[in-house]
Amino acid sequence: MINQIIYWVLVIGFQVLVLNHLDLSSYIYPQVFVTLLLTLPLHLKKTYQLLIGFGLGLVMDLFICSPGIHMSACLWFIVIRMLILNRQDLKEHANNKLEYSIRTAGFSPFIYTTLILIIFYHFYILWIEGIGNINIEYITKTGLSSSLLSLTIIGVFQALKLNKYP
Amino acid sequence: MQRLIAFIEYNFHIILFVILQTICGFLVFSLNPYQQAIFSKASLGVTSTINKLSSDVYSYLNLKSQNTLLQNQISQQFKESFPQSLHYLNDTFSIVDTSMHHLFDAIPAHVVFNTAHKANNVFIINKGLDHGIKKNMGVISSQGIAGVVLSSNQNYSAVMSLLNTNMKITPHINGQEYFTEMIWDNSKFNCLTINGVNKLEQINLGDVVSTGNSSLLFPKGIPIGNISKINNTPKNQYFELELKTATNFRDLEYVFVIINNEYLGLNDLLLND
Repeated sequence: MINQIIYWVLVIGFQVLVLNHLDLSSYIYPQVFVTLLLTLPLHLKKTYQLLIGFGLGLVMDLFICSPGIHMSACLWFIVIRMLILNRQDLKEHANNKLEYSIRTAGFSPFIYTTLILIIFYHFYILWIEGIGNINIEYITKTGLSSSLLSLTIIGVFQALKLNKYP
Repeated sequence: MQRLIAFIEYNFHIILFVILQTICGFLVFSLNPYQQAIFSKASLGVTSTINKLSSDVYSYLNLKSQNTLLQNQISQQFKESFPQSLHYLNDTFSIVDTSMHHLFDAIPAHVVFNTAHKANNVFIINKGLDHGIKKNMGVISSQGIAGVVLSSNQNYSAVMSLLNTNMKITPHINGQEYFTEMIWDNSKFNCLTINGVNKLEQINLGDVVSTGNSSLLFPKGIPIGNISKINNTPKNQYFELELKTATNFRDLEYVFVIINNEYLGLNDLLLND
């Protein structure tokens, strides 16, 4: 449990202190902290998942000063995650109270789920930030490049976990 | 009640999601200046559309009183048309002769029944003997001549429409009175026929036909219609003129009854002659 809390604090700290101040390009705006929602334990009730998503979004909004934007995106993230995971056979892992990862879900389903959720999250954030004055080109470039970087970092996280608990 | 509770319990995560998203929406559009401005703009558009809709509905429901107001405005227009000879009362306006003696009064009335498809059309107005209306009084609309009162009871009067084969009025064209009859032959709706105008007269399409001095029922200069067709038959020395009535009898709703205050006296004089 303590390890889990430390992991959450580290990921949030990495997002807030490092990634949010990354100045690689105006098109790169990675949101890696959503890996915490992606890898939530499978046995968690839907209500708790929603509340955790809401809470994590609230924390990010407090740091980024974007009230409501990450909260809303995190809630949608959780709902879409529920819909995707319902189509995957994970009952056994849920009974064993495991978290969602490459090891539990398998390589392809995990990549598929992560790809959809990460791309959705970035595009949703960019859409709601530019609502009413959408620049399709900017959103496409930023969404795709940010998603790519986020996916790479999340992949590294998963690889580290696999190495730690082979 | 138990089923309701079970339903809520089963779908609690959906309800929670909707509640939390509502909170998020509120925060996004109230605390972020850019999103707030966008929302204000959008809501302004929606509000103005709803306001316009409600205004249109209100205007439609208010048409009757607006028509009454329009009738009063038309009275004002009559006043401007005859500044030297009209006198207005609350419910009537009067045309005054040069000695400042009221020759004509006009009483606003509402058409409650109307026909325009028969050979002898009649319409009924909501003013009668109690309002001073009697047989043989002229009736005009805001556009021009409408008819002549046939009979009256206490509150209503039957009016012979201009579209009646028994209606005969002397036309006044281009400042000249033609002592020939203008009749409706029931061939065309809103079209009268004038025969007996000599071909030597200068008559053009669109010329205004109005009332002249030869009628005791109407003041001079009230429009009857416009010349819409000139039939020039070679063997005939007279034009056959077609006249489009100024009043549209299908939409006739508001009229004025013209009361000639000296009708009896003048009629006696004419009969004695």
